[in-house]
Amino acid sequence: MTSAMRAVAGTLHVAVALLAIGALASLSIHTRVAHSASPADPAKVIRQVFPAAETGFDPAGAQDLYSGTIEQAVFETLLTYDYLARPSKLVPLTAEALPQITDQGRTYTLTIRKGIFFADDPAFKGRKRELVAADFAYSLKRLVDPKLRSPWAWLVQGKIVGLDALAEAARKSGRFDYDAPVAGLATPDRYTLVIHLTHTDYNLPYILAHEPTSAVAREIIDTYADESGRAMANPVGTGPYRLKEWVRGTRIVLDANPDYRGFTWDFTSDDPADQVLIAQMKGKRMPQIGRVVVSIIEEDQARLLAFKNDEVDLMDLGGVLAPNVMDGDRLRPEFAARGIKLSRIIDPAIIYTYWNLQDPVVGGLSKDKIALRRAMAMAYDVDEEIRVVRNGQAIEAQYPIPPGVVGFDPGYRSPVHYDPALANELLDYYGYRRGADGWRALPDGKPLTVRYASRPDSLGRQQDELWKKALDRIGIRMEVQKDRFPEMLKAERQCKLMMRTASWIADYPDADNFMQLLYGPNTGQNNNACARIPAYDRLYEQSIRMPDSPARDRLYHDMTRLIEVYAPWRLGVLTYRNMLVQPRVLGYRKHPILHNEWKYIDVSARDPRQ
Amino acid sequence: MGAYIFRRLWQMIPTMLGVVLLVFFLFNWVGGDPAYVLAGKISNQEQIDNIRRQLGIDQPYYIQLGIFVKQIVTGNFGASWSTNERVSHILITRLGPSLTILVPLLILDTLISIALALAVAYVRGSLTDRLVMIVCTVGLSVSILVYIIVFQYVFAYKLGWFPVQGWGDGFWHNLVVYASLPILIGLVVSIAPDLRLFRTFILDEINQDYVRTGRAKGVSENRVMWVHVLRNASIPIITNLMSSLPGLLLGSFLIERFFSIPGIGREVILAVERSDFPVIKAITVYVAFATILTNLLADLTYKAVDPRVQLK
Repeated sequence: MTSAMRAVAGTLHVAVALLAIGALASLSIHTRVAHSASPADPAKVIRQVFPAAETGFDPAGAQDLYSGTIEQAVFETLLTYDYLARPSKLVPLTAEALPQITDQGRTYTLTIRKGIFFADDPAFKGRKRELVAADFAYSLKRLVDPKLRSPWAWLVQGKIVGLDALAEAARKSGRFDYDAPVAGLATPDRYTLVIHLTHTDYNLPYILAHEPTSAVAREIIDTYADESGRAMANPVGTGPYRLKEWVRGTRIVLDANPDYRGFTWDFTSDDPADQVLIAQMKGKRMPQIGRVVVSIIEEDQARLLAFKNDEVDLMDLGGVLAPNVMDGDRLRPEFAARGIKLSRIIDPAIIYTYWNLQDPVVGGLSKDKIALRRAMAMAYDVDEEIRVVRNGQAIEAQYPIPPGVVGFDPGYRSPVHYDPALANELLDYYGYRRGADGWRALPDGKPLTVRYASRPDSLGRQQDELWKKALDRIGIRMEVQKDRFPEMLKAERQCKLMMRTASWIADYPDADNFMQLLYGPNTGQNNNACARIPAYDRLYEQSIRMPDSPARDRLYHDMTRLIEVYAPWRLGVLTYRNMLVQPRVLGYRKHPILHNEWKYIDVSARDPRQ
Repeated sequence: MGAYIFRRLWQMIPTMLGVVLLVFFLFNWVGGDPAYVLAGKISNQEQIDNIRRQLGIDQPYYIQLGIFVKQIVTGNFGASWSTNERVSHILITRLGPSLTILVPLLILDTLISIALALAVAYVRGSLTDRLVMIVCTVGLSVSILVYIIVFQYVFAYKLGWFPVQGWGDGFWHNLVVYASLPILIGLVVSIAPDLRLFRTFILDEINQDYVRTGRAKGVSENRVMWVHVLRNASIPIITNLMSSLPGLLLGSFLIERFFSIPGIGREVILAVERSDFPVIKAITVYVAFATILTNLLADLTYKAVDPRVQLK
């Protein structure tokens, strides 16, 4: 054989070997795909951007929205929300059905679906690990473990029979006994969970749909937990995705969980706007998306340029960028022409300004104090806030319960309006006389100065200006009190602030989550107005013993009237959430409660306009 | 030399103690109580007390200070209060991306600024010199924020020469693809002031007698400028260079935020926003330590560059 022939033969050997390796590798990939339960296509990638960094992925440990968004993709709760139903509607997720409620809302029985498995992890030592009722009991116990210092303890604290006692014992002994039986968390068999409550609570199903109550496996926590008992960097759940890569504060990559059971897209809606996406998605095996890539981009310009440059598929626009992208409630023509879609909802949140009812200047339930607060409420121009601060991406709140939340009344109109003339008359009537310098004094002649607390950021400065203008209109001298957020929060909990603009986003879509904000015993927790209005407290105590019903709605009407009468709050605005969506994304609709929609959507291989 | 180094290292101890006291009291005074943020939306006093106890912020100040000193001595700053990530891991993983941007930037900036400073100093008083000085003055009057916004819009979005943002896994990929535009912006921002400064140092030397003597002896202009003048002007240049080295530990937070680079500067901002005292403490102490060390290094370099310098 000549050297040339040997060279040719050698090359052929190498080529054949490479082909064989390639074929084997390909076979291996196809075999894996064939064995995968999840229908997700690894080639289908969705790219989303977060405007702020996550903190970690332990459902009991993280409290920020962005960590929660990832947790919802990796872990699963007992219940979830129907993708298209509005207002939000609970549906089973890992439970066979919605809970069976007995004992006048004090006992909840749930059956876990059989054959749901955690994603593989070395902590399971090579065995398939099935989800069982005990995992939920364990996960609920973790919320009150003092060592974890979970920010979600309030979801179950004081509610489940025997759980508080276990937490108290742990505080004394320094060790939480997860094996100790809890009367309120019974698992009579492998798949049944019975929750006994200390009192009637019809909101428990919403709690069971909230990601802090997701099922975590005890083996995972035992293997990966840090000194505080949290496993922030090793999320392993039964959800459709699992963590593939995490560059903290920069990039999070999720891959489809091959063991995820999948489901068939079969959602319905009466909304004509949904019919296109229903036609695109109906009957598909889900999830379709094989990989989710999340980029964290804090700066507004960088975020928008990344979207415009097609480096991102889904982006929450935020109010600051709205003028660059939108004309009122529509996309600007250059975006619409590119086929970019807009999914727009009103956030299930309220923004309000409160007065501290325990403050000697603005607090109290006497007529002159109520008049003072009402006058300040009437002097504030919400329209100006919508125009100037919110860039038109908000509407005035009429009711303390926002749209999309059970108990919202779309027909309700608040009698509190911007009317500085009436506000001035009211102050005159109650003896708040103007001095020679034009500023009003208290009825007893003492100086009247209101301190408005706000954060030292741009939004805080804008709110300072608007409230200063409002109080100038009625001759009330205002000082701005600036502090760091933790210190402001501390002062607020101790009822030491005079007034501040605050916000509240729904933890669960029920009116109770909002109406509890003025319940007297919640002072020092989330009743930041430190209000103790006996009539309100009585009505609230009645409302929590009732399921959603017209009778409960009537109570909420009455409570709202009390808010208007005593004026602990000036309701402000409801903000829009504008999600920008690239043309290739199919089936996307922003859900008001769910943090991500990845398992419900698809991407087309090419731009659907072509 | 050995005695000098030992003496300087010994002198670091009171300086570091001063830094420790300043950092401790400053952040305890202005940092706020993180327990109220960490406790979540709804919490009671018992939970807040539990958090304060676990973080150790319910202890008397002298005990907290003792723990802080122990952390510095052992190099173990514990875990982040907001993410539970080990502080040492934060520093190790965030330093790489910052250095990927800042080391090439520092080298390129120094080389380009020295070369240009020598060139314009050589033609001092000419139209070229004046034009370059005007451009530098205008350039350094513009905020880095403007450069970032304009360059990101023009070169990344409009022209598409670079990605708008991002960071990958491989060093070379990051350096070539993601770091190029941030480095370019860094150069535009830093060359102008450095060029003006270095030109002044060189002009101080260019009129010295030894330069005239060299020229009279027939030494080439290149040798006069690059060897004799540059060597004598190098002490203030080294001072300037050394003073910027600790900045490498801090990163460039604006560039890192705009380009989503997982660097140490971005981490500092996050830590401040979250009142994450362990991270702030660790970074501040390390920067202080690096500053003291680079000052010592600068003094030793003077001696190496100019044998006339006496280390006392």
